[in-house]
Amino acid sequence: MVLPIVGIIVGLLIGTYLPAIVPIEYAKYLSVALLASLDSVLGGLRAGLEGNFDNVVFISGFFTNALLAAGLTYLGERIGIDLYYVALLAFGLRIFQNLAVIRHHFLKR
Amino acid sequence: MQKKGQLSIALACVILGIMLAVQFRATQDNQSSRGYQRAEDLTKRLIAVEKERDAIQSQVRNLRQSSASDTIVIEMETVKMDAGVVSVQGSGIIIDVDDTRPAIPLGNKNPNLYRIKDEDILKILNELRAAGAEAIAINNQRLIASSEFRAVGSFFSVNKKNIDTPLEIKAIGDPAALENSLLMKGGVIETLQFWGIRVNVKQQDSIKIPGFKGTFHFNYAQPFTEVGK
Repeated sequence: MVLPIVGIIVGLLIGTYLPAIVPIEYAKYLSVALLASLDSVLGGLRAGLEGNFDNVVFISGFFTNALLAAGLTYLGERIGIDLYYVALLAFGLRIFQNLAVIRHHFLKR
Repeated sequence: MQKKGQLSIALACVILGIMLAVQFRATQDNQSSRGYQRAEDLTKRLIAVEKERDAIQSQVRNLRQSSASDTIVIEMETVKMDAGVVSVQGSGIIIDVDDTRPAIPLGNKNPNLYRIKDEDILKILNELRAAGAEAIAINNQRLIASSEFRAVGSFFSVNKKNIDTPLEIKAIGDPAALENSLLMKGGVIETLQFWGIRVNVKQQDSIKIPGFKGTFHFNYAQPFTEVGK
């Protein structure tokens, strides 16, 4: 449990001092990708706590989800439908589910 | 929980952290920069406008101070007054000349003798000018250097415009001098009255005479400077 927290702190530090800046047009994509990543991380933690964590599944899920979310947003922008919200809703729901499972796991212990 | 799983989750967390931080910064920058940019933009424009205003103000000051431009402005006013394109007011006289009810004696063969002729009015105008009239208008048609007064059939033409009797001649100048020039013994008015034309002269303290409304055309005349004058 320590390593992920250390990881997130390191990431925050790197991101804060990174000179790269995201243009406003791409902020949407990044936010969706961010949500997907958050979902994947929470999903991974949950799997780890449940004891059925698979490294390949986790890594592939992490990137696939992020890319898929970004792609969905792009597609939505192209065809004029806000698929962006679909991604947000799906990942948001899953984040809450995963959090609930993790909470239950800790409470049961 | 495997060590490997922890490691990959930690890696994902690093990426997540980077994304979070970048996104956070972008949003913050975005928000602050939009307002900030607007303020900066407005400030720049304000400064530019203020500079422009200062420049114009100093220009106005310079123009006011410089005697040369002053002279030009005064000269232009004088020239416009001379040309008769500005409306003027002042003391003067109003002459009403009316031949609409002529006293034609019975059996007279030529009633035209009892009507106003252009020569009569030209005489009046001539007297007025000689008495120092500064501005003259007939039926509110300002007389200028190029104005004509002539009979056109049963009408009169002033400034190429037809006017009909009764005529109202306004003249600005010394009222007494103007009136006397017309009323002298054997003068214009006496002659007109002999023919039954009613001429009424009244002095007034304030007469308004409109400016010349037409345009000036110089097709043949061209200005040139006289050398060795």
